[in-house]
Amino acid sequence: MITIRDTPFKPSKELEAFTQANCDAGAITSFLGQVRSEAGKVNALYLEQYPGVTETGIMDAVAKAKARWTLTDVMVIHRVGTMDVGEPIVLVAIAAKHRRPAFLACDYLMDYLKTQAVFWKRQTGKDGSKWIEPRTEDYQDKKRWEIR
Amino acid sequence: MIKILYFGRLSDMAGRRTETLALPQGVRNISALRAWLDTAHDLGGALDDPSVKTMVDQSLVHNDMSLNGNEEIGFLPPVGGG
Repeated sequence: MITIRDTPFKPSKELEAFTQANCDAGAITSFLGQVRSEAGKVNALYLEQYPGVTETGIMDAVAKAKARWTLTDVMVIHRVGTMDVGEPIVLVAIAAKHRRPAFLACDYLMDYLKTQAVFWKRQTGKDGSKWIEPRTEDYQDKKRWEIR
Repeated sequence: MIKILYFGRLSDMAGRRTETLALPQGVRNISALRAWLDTAHDLGGALDDPSVKTMVDQSLVHNDMSLNGNEEIGFLPPVGGG
C-alpha cells in the first residue's frame, strides 16, 4: 500500500494495522523519518510532489523490491505539505517470512525515496527558507543496490 | 497551448508554479523552450542547468524532443524525499 498524504499520520497506529494485516509474516521491519530541528535552526519542512508521477515512481520502486526479495507486503506512507519539527515525514514497513529480506527491502526503499522519489523539500527556519537536495552520501547509499 | 509546471526551487525563481502559453515562435523542442523560458523569466541559467530534468506528459524526455504545442511540460530540479 502506497499513500501520499497532506495531513499528519500516527506511525504507531499505521504499524499496528500493518502488523495485524500480516500476522502470518515472520518478520516486520520499519523505518520512520521525521522532521529534525537541527538544534533549533529548523521550524518546518515543506514537501512538494508531482501528482501522479510521484506515486507511479514509488509503485515502480516497490515492484523492484518485490522482484528482488521475497516479501509478503510493503507499506509506504509519505507526507507532502508543511510539517512541524518532530512530525513524521515517511514510514516504510516491510513484511516478509524472514528478517533478512525485510531489512534489505526497507533499506532499499528508503534509499530510493531519499534520492529518486519525485519530491522536493524546502526547509524553513530562523535563517529563512531553502530547498534541500540529496547529500552525496544519499547518492552513494543508493548506488549500493546497483547489480554488478 | 502548452502547460508548464515548475517544481522545487524553480517555482520560487520563476515566481509561479504553472503557466499556460502558446509555443513561442521559433521554439520547436525542449532545449529551445528551456532557453526561451530561462530568458523570459530571467532565471540566469537555472532552467537551462543540466541537473534539471524535463517531463512531457509525465514521462522523462531528452532535450531534443520536439514539441507540437499541446503538451504538459514539467521542469524537475534534483528530487529527493524521506
